[in-house]
Amino acid sequence: MDISSIILPLVEITLAGAIINASVHFVPVGGAPAAMATSTGVGTGTTQLAAGAGFTGLLAAAGMAAQPGIMISNPVHALLIMLSGAVGAMIMLGLTMLIGQLIYVYGVGIVPAADKCDVDPITKDPQSAFITPGTTGHGIPTVCFVSGLIGAALGGIGGGMAYVGLLGLGFTIPAIAGVLAIGFFFMNAVLASYNIGGTIEGFHDPKFKKMPNGVIASTVSSLVAAIILIGMSMGL
Amino acid sequence: MDPTLLTLGALALAGAAATVSGCAEDLESDVGSQSNPNSQVQLGPQMGNIHRYFNKAISGEPVSYGLYVAVAGAVAWALMNGGYNPILGLIVGSGVGAITHGAYSLSAYLGRIVGQSKNFNQPVYMDVISTHMGPMMGHGFIAIFTMLLAAYLATLALGNPFPLPLVALIFGITVGAIGSSTGDVHYGAEREYQKYAFGGGIPVANQGDIDIKAETGIRNGLDSSYFCSRLGGPLTGLCFGLIIFLDGWRTVTGNIIGDLMGADLVMKAVIAIILGTLLVIGAAIINRKVEVYARNKYGPYK
Repeated sequence: MDISSIILPLVEITLAGAIINASVHFVPVGGAPAAMATSTGVGTGTTQLAAGAGFTGLLAAAGMAAQPGIMISNPVHALLIMLSGAVGAMIMLGLTMLIGQLIYVYGVGIVPAADKCDVDPITKDPQSAFITPGTTGHGIPTVCFVSGLIGAALGGIGGGMAYVGLLGLGFTIPAIAGVLAIGFFFMNAVLASYNIGGTIEGFHDPKFKKMPNGVIASTVSSLVAAIILIGMSMGL
Repeated sequence: MDPTLLTLGALALAGAAATVSGCAEDLESDVGSQSNPNSQVQLGPQMGNIHRYFNKAISGEPVSYGLYVAVAGAVAWALMNGGYNPILGLIVGSGVGAITHGAYSLSAYLGRIVGQSKNFNQPVYMDVISTHMGPMMGHGFIAIFTMLLAAYLATLALGNPFPLPLVALIFGITVGAIGSSTGDVHYGAEREYQKYAFGGGIPVANQGDIDIKAETGIRNGLDSSYFCSRLGGPLTGLCFGLIIFLDGWRTVTGNIIGDLMGADLVMKAVIAIILGTLLVIGAAIINRKVEVYARNKYGPYK
């Protein structure tokens, strides 16, 4: 294996980790409080929702990579694999947020409202008057939805890029590349959730400013993971 | 037969199976009080609400469903590779997955409730175990079998290169994330807190003050599944079914449009990506419409 066929996957896998970590910070997650409509965002855990979206994107990326005629060495084809992953993840998270919103509005009877901003940065709607006292917002307002879509797209791109990097390293059996990509995705999503520490509304949340710390942590750990993967690919 | 028609048929069947799967998964998590609302059931005895809910969440819904379906997928895959009929493999695999689920549920319930017995006087109701295990394992079996069927179709007819157990694991984690994000909101915020006025979030001061009385007698997890089967369960199923269907649909339609245009592989993929992006933009617009509806209908909090 020559040096150039190692450097590109190394860069791809390291960059993928940083992108996956950044993506999780965009996903509006309210955890158990959101399931009780006590907090803005989707009512599940950060890692789990990001993983659900990212893995759907990974399935889409792998489906694209398996199409006859797709060459990993072709940059256009590699880009298509990543974009397919991004769209797959966006469809998963977009529909989950939409159906969640329907249940919040028609099942629970709340007005979607963000607590971390007075005015929705996108729609300019006032937020504080619609928040039930004793809660930190509820539902999925437009700013959270858009932030979630950005996060899903980044997660899908990151997952797809890691998959492309693994294929480039010679893990050409999809089962092995898939298992490694899933482990790699979980590693970076968990690192991000440690950085977030519970709930986050999206890019307007003050916690979003902590993102650089998480990205640095993921870059370092992904670099180490990439070096181990290169060792594995060389049969060490 | 035309391969495109076969793919479309497989896609429709996978979408339908996923819809049933999402619905059964959510109702099962309502009977067993898994995922996020279980924190309220866990908190109940500390607030003086001795309850008859089953409570089994330990590792989170996506991870536990990933486990059950991956176990089922691994058994089914082994049987198929051993030369057995695929349908038999799927059924036996799902059965093993359901038994795994049952073992997990029993140990989780006993561990959780016994942990609260000493300090908060929460009894371990043996009849709750005997009445709830069947519906949970039954709902779980339906969820696992239909998810496994969708995963089998994805590997057989929809061109996914991953082996069955891996697709099953991914579907399990995805359906758990969806059920936890959508259906459980209906169970948690609406069903567990019905004594509070409809139309607002649950203030932190009320947390743990769950309803322990049902329409008839003392409430338990079976009442929850009856209530949630009208909105939370079906919408969860719709969500998972739409995701499986639309993600496949954009690829198939991209290929069909590409063939009509005489386009190459790259152009077909670009069409599929554009179609997917349009679907997502549509979802964002509907989300905004629902938000505006809620603002106009319910108004600011008074």
